[in-house]
Amino acid sequence: MNKDTIFELIVKHTREVIPELEGHAFSRTDALKELGANSVDRAEIVQLTLEALSLDVPKIELFGAQNIDQLVDLFYEKL
Amino acid sequence: MKSYDHQELVITGIGITTAVGQGKEAVTNALLEGCHAFRIMERPGRQEASAFIGAEIDGLIYPPDISKKTLRTASYAAEVALVTLHEAWEDAQLQHVDPTRVGLIIGGSNVQQRDHTMLQDNYRGRTQFIRPTYGLSFMDSDLCGLCTEQFGIRGLAHTVGGASASGQLAILSAIQAVLSGEVDVCIAIGSLMDLSYWEFHGLRALGAMGTTKFADNPTEACRPFDREHDGFIYGECCGALVIERSSFASQRHASLYAGIAGWGMTMDANRNPNPSLEGECTVIRKALNKAGLLPKDIDYINPHGTGSLIGDEIELEAIQTCNLSHAYMNTTKSIFGHGLTGAGAVELIATILQMETGMLHPSRNLINPIVPGMNWVKEQAIAHPVHYALSLSFGFGGINTAICLQR
Repeated sequence: MNKDTIFELIVKHTREVIPELEGHAFSRTDALKELGANSVDRAEIVQLTLEALSLDVPKIELFGAQNIDQLVDLFYEKL
Repeated sequence: MKSYDHQELVITGIGITTAVGQGKEAVTNALLEGCHAFRIMERPGRQEASAFIGAEIDGLIYPPDISKKTLRTASYAAEVALVTLHEAWEDAQLQHVDPTRVGLIIGGSNVQQRDHTMLQDNYRGRTQFIRPTYGLSFMDSDLCGLCTEQFGIRGLAHTVGGASASGQLAILSAIQAVLSGEVDVCIAIGSLMDLSYWEFHGLRALGAMGTTKFADNPTEACRPFDREHDGFIYGECCGALVIERSSFASQRHASLYAGIAGWGMTMDANRNPNPSLEGECTVIRKALNKAGLLPKDIDYINPHGTGSLIGDEIELEAIQTCNLSHAYMNTTKSIFGHGLTGAGAVELIATILQMETGMLHPSRNLINPIVPGMNWVKEQAIAHPVHYALSLSFGFGGINTAICLQR
């Protein structure tokens, strides 16, 4: 699993949680909050990505990312 | 239509979603034509070693202004509440009312059981991946959250639970919210009660729900007050009613459907599902007294009549005891099925639609009434102007409610 694949998973789940972003061209520097994801939306995106990766880690360890790139790094470290 | 005293309560908007139609026009036509949608239920989570009969909504239509994001995590009961409220909201033109003066009462508790069962089945053994939104949505108050967010309601909102009387109980609570002055307008919703196979097995084991007697002919299973009845048949439905004082409605030039003349609630001090003649008579008299009406004034009764053996029998005895045998009666549940928490609201709306059209809808499968001497509307709709109507709802746990409408 490389970082590009994790990024694509996060994008897929962000579009699932916020269907209005279907046409948005995601970049690594996008921040979920600025894209309109509230705290519950962000928790959903993280959980859906964890499920897709079959990764069982405490959610607290995935907090603190300021943008999607940092979130990708947090996931990558747990693999 | 009569003119209302400025203090009187009136209904200024309705929304209705049933298995035979969505929206008041479609539902009015379906009622008058005696349509039905009874079959072996197919919605996921409804059957487990069973072939339960019921009426399910086919192809819910979503207004475009309810976003996909909102709908993604809403339970089916919440989706139906949103679209039904949307109809009532537009109907009553509530976008022009101060949102801090608008309230919402949702009738029903444990209304999302099928969604919960499916989610729990899906995540059994891998609970670490359960959706965070389940932490919100497992509570029925999530319906209040979703609806108030969608429509910007800022007055009050909460749920009330009264089993199969929940819809009417929501209306009674909305009446109190308006009378107390807490809000100017209050919407009452009788929620769709989305049951899973667990609840259906329980209700059948309890003897409340229809048996397998009509397994080979589901269209004949729902037959309240008929000699062949053997329990209620479920039907998905949700109703929303907008309630306000006549003075406020007139000030904002709202259209009026009907006045709420009287109402009542009594308890039987009985946890069980069996009805009480005394309780039913008391609540009928309470509603009539509140309305200042005599039994002879009532033109039409929309009974609770679920199809249960003892329930149907006791209700007719109560109507006779209260000297109401002259009033026309039909059975809306024979068309919609029993919506449980939704029933009281959709049946009051069915009453209003009949008052509006001056037509009483037929009763399906009412071939040989258990009490033939009542003024039944049987296989054909009939023209009959209704000035005063009485609608009844009863719930497990000894709950009795009644509402009198005038037009």
